[in-house]
Amino acid sequence: MKKLIYTLFGKVLVIGVSLFYFCTLSPSHAQTVKDLIIQKPVYASCNYNTYPDSIPNNLTPSPEGKKPFYISHYGRHGSRYISSRSGYDIPFRMIAHADSVNELTPTGERVFDEMKLIMADTERRWGELTSYGKIQHRRIARRMVERFPEIFCDDARVSCVSTIVPRCIESMGVAMAEMKQVNPKLRITMVASQRNQWYMNHQDRKLRKNFMTPEAKKAYDAYISSRMGNSRLMELIFKNPDIVKEIVDEEQFNYYLIKMGLFQQNTHFYKNTYLQDLFEIDELYNMWQIDNVYWYIQHGACKLNGEKQPTSQRFLLRRLIADADSCISLEKPGAQLRFGHETVLLPLVCLIGINGFDLATDNLDELEEKGWWCSSVFPMGANLQFIFYRSSPKDKDVLVKVLLNEQEATLPIATDCAPYYHWADVRNFCLGKLENNP
Amino acid sequence: MTTVSEKAKKEKVNLFKFNERLHLSYRKNEYLCRSILNFMRPLNFNVPKLARIFVVGMLLMSTMTTSGQTIAEELKADPNRAAGNFYALPIGKMPKDTPAPKGKKPFYINHYGSPGSYYRESNSLYEEPYAVFAKADSLGKLTKLGQEVKQRLDLLRRDAKDRTGELTTKGVEQCRELIRQMVKRFPDILTPNGYYSCRSIVQNNCLMTLEESLVELSSMMQPMKTNVMATHREDRFMAPQDKVLEAMRWDSLTLARYDRFLALNTGNARLMESLFTDQNFLINQVDPESLSRQLFVLAGSIQHTELAGKVTLFDLFTPTEILSHWKKLNAKYYITNGACTLNGGTQPYIQRAALRNMIHMGDSVQKREYPMVHMRYVNENMVMALACLMELDNCGLQTDNLDALGDMGWITYRIAPIAGSIMIVHYRSEVGDPDVLVKVLLNGEEARLPIESDCAPYYHWEDVKRYYLRKLYRYENIRLNKEVKK
Repeated sequence: MKKLIYTLFGKVLVIGVSLFYFCTLSPSHAQTVKDLIIQKPVYASCNYNTYPDSIPNNLTPSPEGKKPFYISHYGRHGSRYISSRSGYDIPFRMIAHADSVNELTPTGERVFDEMKLIMADTERRWGELTSYGKIQHRRIARRMVERFPEIFCDDARVSCVSTIVPRCIESMGVAMAEMKQVNPKLRITMVASQRNQWYMNHQDRKLRKNFMTPEAKKAYDAYISSRMGNSRLMELIFKNPDIVKEIVDEEQFNYYLIKMGLFQQNTHFYKNTYLQDLFEIDELYNMWQIDNVYWYIQHGACKLNGEKQPTSQRFLLRRLIADADSCISLEKPGAQLRFGHETVLLPLVCLIGINGFDLATDNLDELEEKGWWCSSVFPMGANLQFIFYRSSPKDKDVLVKVLLNEQEATLPIATDCAPYYHWADVRNFCLGKLENNP
Repeated sequence: MTTVSEKAKKEKVNLFKFNERLHLSYRKNEYLCRSILNFMRPLNFNVPKLARIFVVGMLLMSTMTTSGQTIAEELKADPNRAAGNFYALPIGKMPKDTPAPKGKKPFYINHYGSPGSYYRESNSLYEEPYAVFAKADSLGKLTKLGQEVKQRLDLLRRDAKDRTGELTTKGVEQCRELIRQMVKRFPDILTPNGYYSCRSIVQNNCLMTLEESLVELSSMMQPMKTNVMATHREDRFMAPQDKVLEAMRWDSLTLARYDRFLALNTGNARLMESLFTDQNFLINQVDPESLSRQLFVLAGSIQHTELAGKVTLFDLFTPTEILSHWKKLNAKYYITNGACTLNGGTQPYIQRAALRNMIHMGDSVQKREYPMVHMRYVNENMVMALACLMELDNCGLQTDNLDALGDMGWITYRIAPIAGSIMIVHYRSEVGDPDVLVKVLLNGEEARLPIESDCAPYYHWEDVKRYYLRKLYRYENIRLNKEVKK
């Protein structure tokens, strides 16, 4: 009897432990994109995804005998209003036209009303940081200071550079004000200058212009053809979907209406999920697939356009290395923070190959299964932090750990102390990547 | 040894100074007489004319003894002032406060400030004059001084390259120091239980001024409750536009008078001859007026950068030329922001929404238990127009005499220098005190309002409110009637 109880107890224990293990240690890999969208529909909107409200505190302790001494960071501005009117105008004009010819169902009329509210809310705020965006940056800044007290102690130096875009400047300002709340002694400098645009916000015109090669276009069109459109939505909103086809482009209407709905998670409309709730998970998921593929072709190492797109951030990477080199030679380098955009952060992550985002393929169907999910890289407020460790200023073996959105990330380099990497290896690896792209 | 021509020059300068002073005292007297008589008009209907003149005379005698430096002397003491509203407000010393009436404590600051020192917005200002000198040099048409100037211009343009319109390091220091002074000066308001509403127009120099101030404040205040914002939504009272006023600003009469004023105050021959060797080149390739203006504006801009003290361009100009350049700038800003009677005297009303907002805020914070600070960073021109609308000190001046603005006290570098501000500080004895007092600080110094008070520089909020609201209603009625007639 006793034996039976013991074995039963043992089995329960084993099952319990393994369940616990399954739940806590491998959360992201077990999840599919659909799971993520069910949990957080705004995940489907890729670069309009919002930053997580809380970050699990699961960092690996510092390597033995070493302490963090320098942070190098590139972050995206926080949640903003949509940057231009056109994104909202496209579906708004269509529905307004349909309304003028009395083609809206009662649901359609409600949708139209909601859209009017959103338009009015966004008017004269295009591209501006929202209050939620400020909160995100305050939280990130506070966590950074609290997680790395060795770096942000006493009168540590924090030098910030922002692009000249107001929402980035504002993100920088609120973040720094928050850091001063934690440690008022910090010596903070802030710069937002055209002088730094060459690496802070480099948009490679040649790459930008040529990313959609004929092969890429062909693959992209084939990929999205089955995923665009939404006849259910048309039935829901318009009295006679067939008739309004002349004034409402189904594919565009569906696509931009989803975006408009999801975007509100970034504004103080976040509690009003009426537009978002119009859509089924599969519809959101379809849109995520379309966007994810587009972002991959535009910024990933896509074989269909020569794998060159990530090199748009070669200047930034070179600068990161140069800055790190000079800071390592200092006794107390402090932190270097940079505030910019997702169109810089994503290709940078792809260029370095963080978390396998250097994936090179010509098969667009592969992206999802291989984990190339852009929404995880660049939500509003996204950030990449390189944390440098050493035992003393004389220590030659500097280690570095990469945090993508404050979670430990991997590099495509061998290491004997993951998630830490030897800076010498990282440096060589990155310089190697840059070698062919001066 | 001084040569004959140098002597003659000195004499000329002295003569000019004498004339300037004579002119000044005449103008000042005229202005004072007028304003005193105006002031007495409603009061003394029955006072005989002789007695009035006697009183005026006595008053004048008392004021004349306290007259300060002339403009020319002030410009000589610090030529940077000639930059007008691009003069960097000296912030070394914290201004002194008249103690508040007994029992009253400050509880609210309503602040409208200009950005800290910044590079000029226009790239061509740095590039164009250099291009003229570079071309002249390539043809060997520069004097020795001209060649030197070319080098200096090169330094300036390199320094400003890709930084136009941006806050300079000096600007950063200014913003931070001004916040430190504010905290020191009003410890009752700037406390951790205060609320800080910080706004900026969507323009990077103002935005950076806001952020620097915020970060400095944050280092002195824990915890700190803030609401930070920079949105076009608030342009109505932060960066207003008014097509009606803009259309009136440079009407043909004003433009003609201004052009004549320019012509009377322009003489670039000496400067051009000192820089270029060839008259032919000058005639064909150089626009002396525009070049000398650009050089002058650049001269006034150096003070904001790290080149201050290392490079100057003011040495190219004689004191007379500096004065006349300043006069032209001053007149231009008077026409655009002051109550100049040439264009109707209504330009300051562009800031009517801001003033109304300040009045509204002043009223709405009265019941607040905890102190509050409103900080807004706007263009320095907007601060200037607001000072004119509020008629602070001499800013409300109404005249068509562009020549005498300085003598009458309408002086840009005193009204709205870089890093300048207008602050209305509200005082009360307790929450709900019916007699709230206010004091207005123009660039940190206590300002005079066009309102009677038994406790100046403090004024009763109700009086202040009544005066300004009436003023605004009067104007808005006129506008409304005009629009209705149309």
